[in-house]
Amino acid sequence: MTEPAELAPAPPSRGLQWWAVLLIVVVIAGAAFAIGRFTAFGTSPQTPGTSSPEAGFARDMQVHHTQAIEMAMTIYRKTDDDDVRTLAYDIATAQAGQRGEFYDWLVQWGLSQASTVPLMTWMADDPEHGHGAAAEPLTDDELRAEMGMASPDELAQLDAATGTAADCLFLDLMIRHHQGAIPMGEALARLGSDPRAVQVGAGVAQTQTAEIGIMRSIQQRLGCGA
Amino acid sequence: MTPSADKRTSGNPASQAQINLTVKQQREAQKQAKLAEYQKQLAKRRRGKVVWWVVGSTAGIAVVSLIAASVIFAPKVVTYEAHSSTGAEIEGVETFTNITTHVEGTVDYPQTPPAGGEHNAVWLNCGVYTEPQANENAVHSMEHGAVWITYDPAQVTEADIETLEGYMPSTYALLTPYPDMDTPIAVSAWNAQLKVDSADDERITEFFTEYWRSQNVPEPNAICSGAIDGPGKA
Repeated sequence: MTEPAELAPAPPSRGLQWWAVLLIVVVIAGAAFAIGRFTAFGTSPQTPGTSSPEAGFARDMQVHHTQAIEMAMTIYRKTDDDDVRTLAYDIATAQAGQRGEFYDWLVQWGLSQASTVPLMTWMADDPEHGHGAAAEPLTDDELRAEMGMASPDELAQLDAATGTAADCLFLDLMIRHHQGAIPMGEALARLGSDPRAVQVGAGVAQTQTAEIGIMRSIQQRLGCGA
Repeated sequence: MTPSADKRTSGNPASQAQINLTVKQQREAQKQAKLAEYQKQLAKRRRGKVVWWVVGSTAGIAVVSLIAASVIFAPKVVTYEAHSSTGAEIEGVETFTNITTHVEGTVDYPQTPPAGGEHNAVWLNCGVYTEPQANENAVHSMEHGAVWITYDPAQVTEADIETLEGYMPSTYALLTPYPDMDTPIAVSAWNAQLKVDSADDERITEFFTEYWRSQNVPEPNAICSGAIDGPGKA
C-alpha cells in the first residue's frame, strides 16, 4: 500500500461522466420512442369496419351500380337515339368508375366484398330513411325493389324491346334506379365519418338528381308514356 | 491541530497525552486517520457504483422491453397478398396457380371442376342453370370474380339444390349441375376450391366471404352479365 494521501486525489467530482450522460439520453429517447408508438396504436389505422355505413354503402351501391351499368350497356348496343346513347355511355362509364372506387375502399380497409346482412342494413340508423327494427324483414327481392332496381322480368323486357319503346323503358327503369340511389347517397353523407365517403355519398345524390332531370326531358321529347 | 514540536502543556489529560506523543507518533496517527477516511470513501464509491449498475441496467432492460412491446403489440397492418379478401384460412380450401389466356375450343383443366385457367373469350352470364355448362365460359366468369357452385346431380337432392341457391348473391355467382364429381358439391373461385359433402356446410358461407369478387382474380370488377346465357338458365 502506497501513500494514501497521494492516492486519494481531490474527492471524485460528483458531475456525471460523458458516457453516463449519453446512456441516460439514449434511455430517455428509447422510452419516448416506445411511448410514442403506444399512443399511435389506437389512432393510425382507423378505417371503417365491416358493419360501418361506409362498408355497407360500398357493398350495396356496387350491387346497385352493377345493374345500372348492365342496363346502360344494353340500351347502348341498340338505341337509335343519339341523346340516349350519350346518356347510356355517360352512366355506364361513370358508374363503372365509381363502382371501382367502392370496391377499392373495401380492399383498402381489408374487408370482404361479400355482405352477410340484408341490403341497406347500414341505413337502419338514418333518421330519414331507416326502416327501424319493428318492420317485418323484407326479402332480398323486396329490398332490391326498394333500391329502385329492376326485376329480372323487367331486365328481360328491356332485352327484348326495340326502337323508341326500348328507349322509353330504359328511361323509366333508370329514373327509378336513380331515385333509389339518392336516399342511399344522402344516408351515407349523414351517417358516414370517412371524409371521402361522405363526399362521394353527397356527390352520388347530386349527380343522379341532375341526371333524372336530363332523362325526364328526353322522355318528353320522345313522347314516352303518351 | 497542526503538528508541532513545541512542548506545550495542557490541563486536559487527553490533550496532555496527545502533547506527550512524539512527533513521529502524531504523524503516524494522522496517516492512519487519512487511510481510514480513504478506505471509507473507496467503499462508498464502490457502493455508489453498484447502485449505478443496478439502476442503469434496470432502466436499460425496462426501455428495451418497452420498445419490444411497442413492436410486438402494434396493430397488425392489413395485407392483401393472400389468395383472398381478408386472409382468413378456411379448412379444406385448396388454392392453385392457373394461367389466364383466351383460347378457342375445349381446354383440359387440371382441376375438376375447373378453378381457373385458359378460357373462352365469352363469359357465361351469372345466375342459376339447370343444365351443365361449358367449362371454358364458366372459367371466364370466375376470372371476373364469380363463385361457381357445382353439384353432382346423382349425389344431391332437390332440397340441397335449393339450399345452395340460398348462398348466391344477386350477381357474380353461378350454380350449375356437374355430373361425375368426386364429392356431391364443389364451390370454386379463381384459383381456390372447396369440396363439401353437405349443402349445409358452413364453410360455404365462409368461402363466399373470402373469395366472392376477390381482388386477386385477373379481372376484378368486370361484369358477369351481358355475354351469353348457357342452356337451361333459370
